[in-house]
Amino acid sequence: MKRRSFLTSTVLSAVASIAFSSVAFAENPVLKIGFVGVTSGPAAAWGTSNQRSMETRAAWINETGGVTIGDTTYDVEIVSFDDQKDPKRAIAGMEKMAQEGIHYVVGPNVDDGAAAVRPVAEQNGIMYFPYAFPKELYTAPASNAILGMVASYQSGPAIYKYLMDNNGVKKVAFVAANESDPLSQRDSGSAAAKALGLEVVSDSVTYQVDTTDFTPVLLPVLQTQPDLLVLSGVAPAAAPQLIRSARELGYTGLISTETAQDAGVLMEGAGELANGFISVGGASTPELASDTMREFVDRYTKMFGEYNDESNTKVYALEYILETLKANPAGIADVEAFKTTMDGFEAPNPYMVGDAKLKYVGMTSFGQKRQVSVPLVVNTFKDGAFETLFVAQVD
Amino acid sequence: MNAQRLLGIAGFLLAVFVLVPWGIAASGRWDFYYTLTSVALLSIGAAGVWLTFYIGRINIGQGAYALMGGYVSAVLITKAGFSFWATLPLAGLFCAVISVLIGLPILRLRGVYFAMVTLVLTEVTRLTALALPVTNGAKGITSIPLPSELSVFGLTIIPDFATMQNPKLAFYLLAATLMVLGYAALWRIVNSRLGHLCRSLQQNEELASSIGVNTAYLRVLAYAISSFFGGISGAVFVAISQSIYPSSFVVTDSINFMLYCFLGGLGYVFGPMLGTLLLYFGWDLLSVAKQYQLLIYSSAMIALMLAVPNGILSLLDRKGGQK
Amino acid sequence: MEQIIANGLYLGAQYALIALGLTLIFSLMNVLNFAHGQMYVLGGFVTYTFVAQLKLPFIVGLLASAVVLAVVGALVEKFLFRPVIRKSRREEGTMLLAAGIAFFLDAVILLVFGEKQRGVPKIVNGVFNWDFRLVMPYDRILIGVLAIAAIVGFILYMQYSRTGRAMRALAQDRVAAQLMGVDVDRYSMIGFALGAMLAGVVGGLLVTITGINLGMGGPTSIKAFMMIMIGGAGVISGAIAGGFILGMMESIGLSVLAAYGDITYLVIFASLMVFLAFRPQGLMGKPWG
Repeated sequence: MKRRSFLTSTVLSAVASIAFSSVAFAENPVLKIGFVGVTSGPAAAWGTSNQRSMETRAAWINETGGVTIGDTTYDVEIVSFDDQKDPKRAIAGMEKMAQEGIHYVVGPNVDDGAAAVRPVAEQNGIMYFPYAFPKELYTAPASNAILGMVASYQSGPAIYKYLMDNNGVKKVAFVAANESDPLSQRDSGSAAAKALGLEVVSDSVTYQVDTTDFTPVLLPVLQTQPDLLVLSGVAPAAAPQLIRSARELGYTGLISTETAQDAGVLMEGAGELANGFISVGGASTPELASDTMREFVDRYTKMFGEYNDESNTKVYALEYILETLKANPAGIADVEAFKTTMDGFEAPNPYMVGDAKLKYVGMTSFGQKRQVSVPLVVNTFKDGAFETLFVAQVD
Repeated sequence: MNAQRLLGIAGFLLAVFVLVPWGIAASGRWDFYYTLTSVALLSIGAAGVWLTFYIGRINIGQGAYALMGGYVSAVLITKAGFSFWATLPLAGLFCAVISVLIGLPILRLRGVYFAMVTLVLTEVTRLTALALPVTNGAKGITSIPLPSELSVFGLTIIPDFATMQNPKLAFYLLAATLMVLGYAALWRIVNSRLGHLCRSLQQNEELASSIGVNTAYLRVLAYAISSFFGGISGAVFVAISQSIYPSSFVVTDSINFMLYCFLGGLGYVFGPMLGTLLLYFGWDLLSVAKQYQLLIYSSAMIALMLAVPNGILSLLDRKGGQK
Repeated sequence: MEQIIANGLYLGAQYALIALGLTLIFSLMNVLNFAHGQMYVLGGFVTYTFVAQLKLPFIVGLLASAVVLAVVGALVEKFLFRPVIRKSRREEGTMLLAAGIAFFLDAVILLVFGEKQRGVPKIVNGVFNWDFRLVMPYDRILIGVLAIAAIVGFILYMQYSRTGRAMRALAQDRVAAQLMGVDVDRYSMIGFALGAMLAGVVGGLLVTITGINLGMGGPTSIKAFMMIMIGGAGVISGAIAGGFILGMMESIGLSVLAAYGDITYLVIFASLMVFLAFRPQGLMGKPWG
């Protein structure tokens, strides 16, 4: 009995402390921005870097007096919902956002979740920024989703082309986890490689997400002797293991992926074997990062103990929402106004040096501007850090 | 006794069809519609799992049938132009037929073996959905239209969901109706001759078979009904999300279906409904706890298990025993 | 060919060790420990903390994992499983508890160790290479040997120690063992601690090769379930056989079916179901486990 009452009181006090701590002392009116994504379970890393980027940026904005949209200065509050990577939960999350009167939501992180929340978002007038690639989300008649990053079918061809021209790559092999997102990325990557005239020597090998030993997975792939091994849609957890297994099996060619990776994780998991690994990054390579980006990384690190390089890309969605609202304050209550503003919107990109611009793109891929323009930075890994290989733009 | 039961049923129906919509309209918490719709649908699936528990089998494979049902509905709507209303029973029937084929060999298994085989079945179904061309593989099926009008002889029974002011309410009513029908059917089964026979299976299969009960037939029948429920719940979810992916129902869902039954209590027909409500709704309410959500949720689950190891509804019979 | 067999053996050794702990707990208490995978993950993170962050030698980290998990296992048995088993009417009732513990450990791991993939530096460098017919990094060989040593040690312990004999008696017939004067509570606790410890040791061993992240728990549990099904639930030799068979199946399946790609695991899982349909008690299990 004692133990039970102890448990109850612990739970109660935890609930109470949370309830009280969430009562923020806001002098400004509050602008709520939503986040629906996965922050627990196996894919926690994806959503966590997302949510933390938003929290960091919001705290920073509020500390410096808030964000002025039209005549009003707002404090930014991030309302987040953990969908556990379950599309059914993601719908509940989107409903919750609608309930809170939120019109701008970042997430979900995966294909099925992004597709599942579409009806809710459209019924309730919510613009959402998924990190998922299905084209039907962004092409008409859909108009409420804005791709928050560079899609694999955009970065892949750019990387293959570069490696064809500079490294003489001729034969390419693909391996992917047997889940929706990686398989879709593998298929589009393989098609793009063929279109470029590369010989695809293997694109059928898959692995379970829980694989603990990648040697048997890679053995048949490497027997086809590719010049380039593409790890399609590889999760940050699996990338170092795949690289390590490939190198230990004696593979000497190039390895690349179209997803963002974390340098620390690669260093810990594969060490110097990961040198030369090519991945897509955000804008925080030393040459590109502005002072604002460096301060963001500092603040993030202070707030959460450790930075995550995936956040280089994920810092942008919130910035786009706020800047677009500044350009047209009517968007706060009316997403149609937001949509019309998007077409001509342009603002300086605070996270990059030089005169880079924040603007919406996607005409080539989607026929309408439903993608944030982040620089397509392609990195190579060297001794624990990323070096910029090349930078490109998506239109 | 009978009047009391009728009163209880009337009260329940009143709560589901009148009080909940009224409460939501009064409080303005429109997001609860979807949550409660999910609870209703998941509890239909859980009712199926409960029925397999009733014949003494631990079923951790309901996610597989929910996924199958979802795909049957999605494929029939998008590829064959069926109306959603026609696909709903077909989804259930498809699952029932498949479950007979699968059930015939695996229902011979008991205890953890049956549990594990059904768990593997969930994964097999996901991988099959990834590999088959008709399911569109990894890309899933998206942009599925909302349920269309249902009419008999030109008389509109259910209007087109796409033209509705409030499809949320419509989905809630649909799910609640299905839930009520499902549990009514379940209650009827349990209190019939079939139910008594099932109970004899749960207690001692050899004994039941020795006194002439056709155990193999009973097991397959119960499993088919269970899978029918799973298919229905999956099909309606697809109508709400207007999309389906191989990952729409996974191992986690299968495990959750089982947990709903445990939490509510295996001895009671309405156990799975209560369990679903508490676990699913509880998680939603706990989202205010941010990063401590899972910690509190799991602690509460453990605490509940310590307090009432036989499910929450077992509190009822403790009282009954004291009388 | 040599490579495929070597891969299968290495996979099998680590799988068998994971399955051993699970099957031990199952045989003693009839509990299917859904939290087994999470215990494995916890073990990995403990070793990671000691080796990568505190810069202590690997063996210290491994021992720490073993001790921490043994303590966790003992506490979980004494304060959670024991009261629930005593009060619950159906023995499956513990499944909800086990799942709750799995979620709880997931939450704790997320809060304490974070969401990122973690790894420790290689403990031995270099790769054994026999003419490219058989390529095996030395650290893999070492971990494989250590895993097999742990399995052998465990078998000897179960066979010859007093505690081991008591536990075997308990597994065979709980009531009879009790009547013969075996302290059931005590040995259940030791057994659970030992099972959890084995999970922790595998976590500690594998963190040097595959690293660790909080997502590995659930899938690991499920894989372990499959192994004990193949071999027969609650039978120690069955768990070992199941581990090696699954390892071999993956290794061979991935090579043979590589051309058909997407269906490799479908074939592995489906054949498992067919196998169990024909042999419901696994290879060595008691009928109706």
